[in-house]
Amino acid sequence: MTIDVSNLLDGQLEAEEAKRALKETTSQPELRDRYTIYGLVGDVLRGNSTPDDGFSVRILQRMRDEKVRIEPGYDPLAG
Amino acid sequence: MANTDPDTELVRLAQAGDVHAFEALVVKYQRRVARHVARYVRRASDVEDVVQETFIRAYRGLAAFRGDSAFYTWLYRIATNMALNSIKRDPAPVLLGDDAPEERSEPFHPGVSDNDDPERRMMASQIAEAVQRALDRLQPDLAEPLMLFEVEGKSYLEIAQMLSIPVGTVRTRIYRAREFIAKRLEPVLGPQRDRRW
Repeated sequence: MTIDVSNLLDGQLEAEEAKRALKETTSQPELRDRYTIYGLVGDVLRGNSTPDDGFSVRILQRMRDEKVRIEPGYDPLAG
Repeated sequence: MANTDPDTELVRLAQAGDVHAFEALVVKYQRRVARHVARYVRRASDVEDVVQETFIRAYRGLAAFRGDSAFYTWLYRIATNMALNSIKRDPAPVLLGDDAPEERSEPFHPGVSDNDDPERRMMASQIAEAVQRALDRLQPDLAEPLMLFEVEGKSYLEIAQMLSIPVGTVRTRIYRAREFIAKRLEPVLGPQRDRRW
């Protein structure tokens, strides 16, 4: 349901609903697409109309390539 | 919802090991972070590096995020530190102090090596025009909550109170407004779809 994508983007879902909506969104290309477009619409309305053109994909690819993991005790604001 | 951070659930899921939840946060905030970083760092390739480093650091340090501030506030603080570190290493492109990076209005185009790339400028212009055309045709009762949320930064609860409608109606109207605009934006975005998340 695309309304769940909209609600997920805006943090309008409770824990279990969010978990389910995220799973559906990331597993279905058309919902994934909607998540991206809804986000773009917001950015355009705030004055930033640039398309994604693979920017987020490159970030996520780099995270996979470098096997980035959550590190307990690591403070990203230190140093 | 009692918690005012809209990203609480996605962050919780990411902290619990759901990589897709963090991916959703990257997709959501990539442009906003890039725009913020571009206020400090001029070269587009440097901006992209700083943004990538920001998200990587945020993910590595996700366990340290306790929700004392909103997630995006924490993310912006990381981005600011990364941007300042970047300009310390390469001071030439710095715009600080009275040059007021906050005042820079030049749009940043994430993922390109040249902000003057005419193809990208045209694409950005087409996207903006498509959204504006859709907005012009959108029913006012759908446009108003969307603008209040996206542009004015109002919460769903505040919008409900301002417009004297239930929060559930705000949800529905914002969704319908987005969907109306998305359908008219899709033809413009078509060619680059395979490169999106």
